[in-house]
Amino acid sequence: MSQPTGVIHDIGYRHYDGPRLGRGAGAVALFVYSLRGTFGLGRTFKSKIMPFLLFGAMMLPAVVSIAIMALLKQAPMSYTDYAVFMQPVIAIFLAAQSPVLVAPDLRHRVIPLYLSRPVTIVDYIGAKFAAMIAALLILMVVPLTVQFVGELLIDLPMPLHTHEYLAALGGSLLNAVLLASIGLALASFTPRRGLGVASVIAFYMFTLAASAVLTGVLESEGHRDASSWSILLNPFFLVNAVQTNLFGTQPVEGLPFPSEAGPALILLAVVALALAGLYARYRKALAA
Amino acid sequence: MTILATEALTKRYPRVTALDRLTVEVGAGVTGLVGANGAGKSTLIKILLGLVPASEGSARVLGLDPATQGQEIRRSVGYMPEHDCLPPDQSATEFIVHMARMSGLPRIAARERAADTLRHVGLQEERYRPIGGYSTGMKQRVKLAQALVHDPKVIFLDEPTNGLDPQGRDEMLRLVHRIGTEFGISVLVCSHLLGELERICDHVIVIDAGQLLRSSAIGELTQASQVISVEVEEGLEKLAARLTETGETVVVEGRSLTVQVRADETYDLLRDAVVDLDLNLVRLEQRHARIEDVFR
Repeated sequence: MSQPTGVIHDIGYRHYDGPRLGRGAGAVALFVYSLRGTFGLGRTFKSKIMPFLLFGAMMLPAVVSIAIMALLKQAPMSYTDYAVFMQPVIAIFLAAQSPVLVAPDLRHRVIPLYLSRPVTIVDYIGAKFAAMIAALLILMVVPLTVQFVGELLIDLPMPLHTHEYLAALGGSLLNAVLLASIGLALASFTPRRGLGVASVIAFYMFTLAASAVLTGVLESEGHRDASSWSILLNPFFLVNAVQTNLFGTQPVEGLPFPSEAGPALILLAVVALALAGLYARYRKALAA
Repeated sequence: MTILATEALTKRYPRVTALDRLTVEVGAGVTGLVGANGAGKSTLIKILLGLVPASEGSARVLGLDPATQGQEIRRSVGYMPEHDCLPPDQSATEFIVHMARMSGLPRIAARERAADTLRHVGLQEERYRPIGGYSTGMKQRVKLAQALVHDPKVIFLDEPTNGLDPQGRDEMLRLVHRIGTEFGISVLVCSHLLGELERICDHVIVIDAGQLLRSSAIGELTQASQVISVEVEEGLEKLAARLTETGETVVVEGRSLTVQVRADETYDLLRDAVVDLDLNLVRLEQRHARIEDVFR
């Protein structure tokens, strides 16, 4: 009779005496985990389809622009207008991926497990917010950078658009902060993912339509001043206006945005309001 | 060693008083916290974790004050909620690794501890499959694993046997008992089923409407009401009469006789009575009274 070769020994319970990191490390781990989640990394194949499809769509104009620079020796697509032109893609990404970050934890009541650990509710919201900002930045900054690298490599008979590129990076950050706060606040109000997607898309469609209609009406009535404000209802135009005022770049389509600090204050107010809503939502979840 | 203690702990919500001047002390080992639904068990746990401030009174967990040192407490305490709390689209392994990292374990340590812990709670190959497809018993094990993964000093288990079939219950209770003894982790386990706690606890605390009803060691409770159950072929009445004569408390329950253990002599008296009356003894067993009887 042969002896058993592989024997599994029950070595019993072993205590952990390694390092225990604080809430900062926990929050960073949650940030990385959430950021991976927005692109479906570490999740099923199905959850990767949408984000990568949209990322591909964002890259397309940059690639085409490089081809045009190389073949026709023409100027690249405007860096500062990129986000406004690509707004449907960015809005769909926001609508599709914001609920991915917040809805499952609410729906499956995972939050008490986080709260029974060193991380606090503020860390939790902060990590989710930072993850959405980072995801949107990747979505917007990668195509801009690819196009800029293309411009560097191709010898064009004109000066480099370095200032426009840098201004667009700043604009992307503003855009990411604004959109992430709105997207998460709207998505967090329902534990159902589908409803979250619908509410973010509906919000975007509403601002898009309201901005266009109101501006058209005001302009035809001759209220030029009011119409330059009403156009800011669309978050992408709002960011473009702040970007224009902040970096002195050309406004998209030469739109007559209000100058000075007005648009920037609106942007700050909207972000503050959205974050307050998000916090209130989770305070409620905490008490339950 | 005192694991946690409360002193006149009170929690008032606008409409109800969830805890009313509760003073308890919990030592190492497995402690049962018993109370009907709404007796204040969950509120007590929330206060001990430092998630909800107390209205009055104070508490200490591992020598720390939940009101000001909640974070340090939560680092060395595990909590298993009563309700479902697992994301269905992730595997148990991924989820437990993530929860270990949330407790502050570095990445590699988190992976090792997750694998170890899932093995201890008895999850085998299925740990790589999404949690959504698990049975209730397996889900309860994952919930327990997330409370254990960071090797806490104390764990709070809220109704760990909820929704389990009798076999699942037995396994879960055995596991909780092992955690308290073999693993050396103190356990505070909430339940509304006394019979369950009696099998695994060293100490039982009973609360009702936020007030302490009783707190005592399990031995005290069961010893105080030890009874012997006797069964003979014929002549049950004769035996009952003889024992009553000698001053024992006897109750005839169907085909058997229940004798209260007054002192050690009771055993001798019973034996002698059976021999003297020349009865055929079928069964003679010591029956521990249920804790339920004590609180009735």
